Amino acid sequence: MSGAPMLEIVNLTRRFQGLIAVDAVSSTVNAHELVGLIGPNGAGKTTLFNLISGFIAPSEGDIRFEGRSLVGMRPHRIARLGIGRTFQNLRILPNMTVFDNVSIGALGTFGHAPWHALLPGRRARSRQISELTRDVLEQVRLTTWAGELAANLSYGRRKYLEIARALATRPKLLILDEPAAGLNESETAELADFIRGLIGRGLTVLLVEHDMALVMSICHRVIVLASGAKIADADPATVQRDPAVLDSYLGVRN
Amino acid sequence: MPPALAKGLVILVAFVAVPATLSAIGGGYLYQIAITALIFIILATSLNLVTGTAGLLSLGHAGFYGIGAYAAALISTRLGLPFLVTMPAAGLIAGAIGVLVALPTMRLVSIYFAVATLGIGEMIFVTLLNWIDFTRGPMGIRGIPPIELFGWQPASPMQQYMVVAATAAVSLWVLSRLTHSYFGNALRAVREDDQCAAAMGLDVVQLKIVAFGTSCFFAGVAGALLAHTANFISPDQFQFGESINILAMVVVGGLGSLPGAVIGALLLIILPEALRGIGDFRMIAIGSIMFFSILLLPKGLLGEASALRLLRHQFGEAWSGATGGRVGWR
Repeated sequence: MSGAPMLEIVNLTRRFQGLIAVDAVSSTVNAHELVGLIGPNGAGKTTLFNLISGFIAPSEGDIRFEGRSLVGMRPHRIARLGIGRTFQNLRILPNMTVFDNVSIGALGTFGHAPWHALLPGRRARSRQISELTRDVLEQVRLTTWAGELAANLSYGRRKYLEIARALATRPKLLILDEPAAGLNESETAELADFIRGLIGRGLTVLLVEHDMALVMSICHRVIVLASGAKIADADPATVQRDPAVLDSYLGVRN
Repeated sequence: MPPALAKGLVILVAFVAVPATLSAIGGGYLYQIAITALIFIILATSLNLVTGTAGLLSLGHAGFYGIGAYAAALISTRLGLPFLVTMPAAGLIAGAIGVLVALPTMRLVSIYFAVATLGIGEMIFVTLLNWIDFTRGPMGIRGIPPIELFGWQPASPMQQYMVVAATAAVSLWVLSRLTHSYFGNALRAVREDDQCAAAMGLDVVQLKIVAFGTSCFFAGVAGALLAHTANFISPDQFQFGESINILAMVVVGGLGSLPGAVIGALLLIILPEALRGIGDFRMIAIGSIMFFSILLLPKGLLGEASALRLLRHQFGEAWSGATGGRVGWR
């Protein structure tokens, strides 16, 4: 395993009828790396996320996670391999409590066969799910809200709920889709610390984000997409000086 | 109230208070209504698992009820097997047929799934009606042997009630565990957002199949109880209208709420009997009660959120960790 990248994207292409949403993108994400993925609206970032998590199938190319191809695998199998994700437009389950929302991630980890609710041993199994859920809620400081319906949470807390649920799947690779959207400056700073903390605890993070300051300050490496194609893939300082990036995205050239 | 007391109270009501009251005020006919109510409690709570908790609108529940009833009737009249064999067999046959016909429909959502189950229910009804060599068609099946447990036949209506109530209690325990547990959370997640559930590692298709199969299994068990307590069944008892009737019980009680489904079933079985005095007007009265209960309480008489809170707190189906308060499931 040592040296081999955690996630390998090889010549990945996705076409929707005439449109090429993702165009022959190749890249890697190494273990314990915090990689940013940026690009203008419609650049194919979310499509790339959906390809990795198995919601859409690639037209061409391959995605390998820890050496195993994810192509053709159903989303729940990919999640169980250790790829957790959040959604750009928050997809919390509003009619369920905060605790129950997060338990969904833990269920993916511990399994959800019906006999787990019926046969002897069910208490021990439920306790495992309960404890993992509680631990994750503590990490995102939502413990006091555990019994509240998710619909009653503030926007900022919903963001953390969404991340908590993904963390409860005990991912190796966490994919965050625009976690800072709609947050104010101090909330964004707090989020940056939180994401750094995840890397410190051994996670690997792939981050789609529009907040340039956030991406440039915390990411180890930045991948830039434009019209579905990769135009840059380097450390933040290099990317910020890259003329192609300045042209197509940052839109400022001195 | 401590959880053990709350559970004890429910058992006390079902097995002591209700039969004592029924015996005191008249017996026979009242027991028949009570048995019918119990059968519909099983039907409503099992439909609630798939339609309320898992969010798959099934319009064919009466069809699987019919499969169970005919399976029990045919196995006992043709093969002479006893109740203890026919009842689980009826459940298994209904559950297996449910899973088989549901497999291709599991990728359908919302109204499309509903229309598919409507079609399945109609196919079952038409088969029961027209496969005369096997089901005797519209003539129905007569002389189904009564309930028998290891040679003992519950002779009085009260004894019959006790056997049906015990079966209902076991069914409700299973359905309650499946609803008020992390497994129930998985089903609710599938209902709320199946893509999100899949991204969290839940096997959505498997969960839907298990929910539908279990629901059909208990509909089959309810059918067996009907066959052995009524001694006569015919296809018209398992028509589309009956599916809607069961669905109405679930919706009036509260979609996703197991205690709600029990209340809904009791209400819609007992009310028509209680209102017999006003003759033909009673269906109008019942219709208005349904109309206004949904208008005023769209989430049902005991909605899902309230029901889950009640179960967590009163019946101890919860886990209280260091967080304080009962939040998880046991």
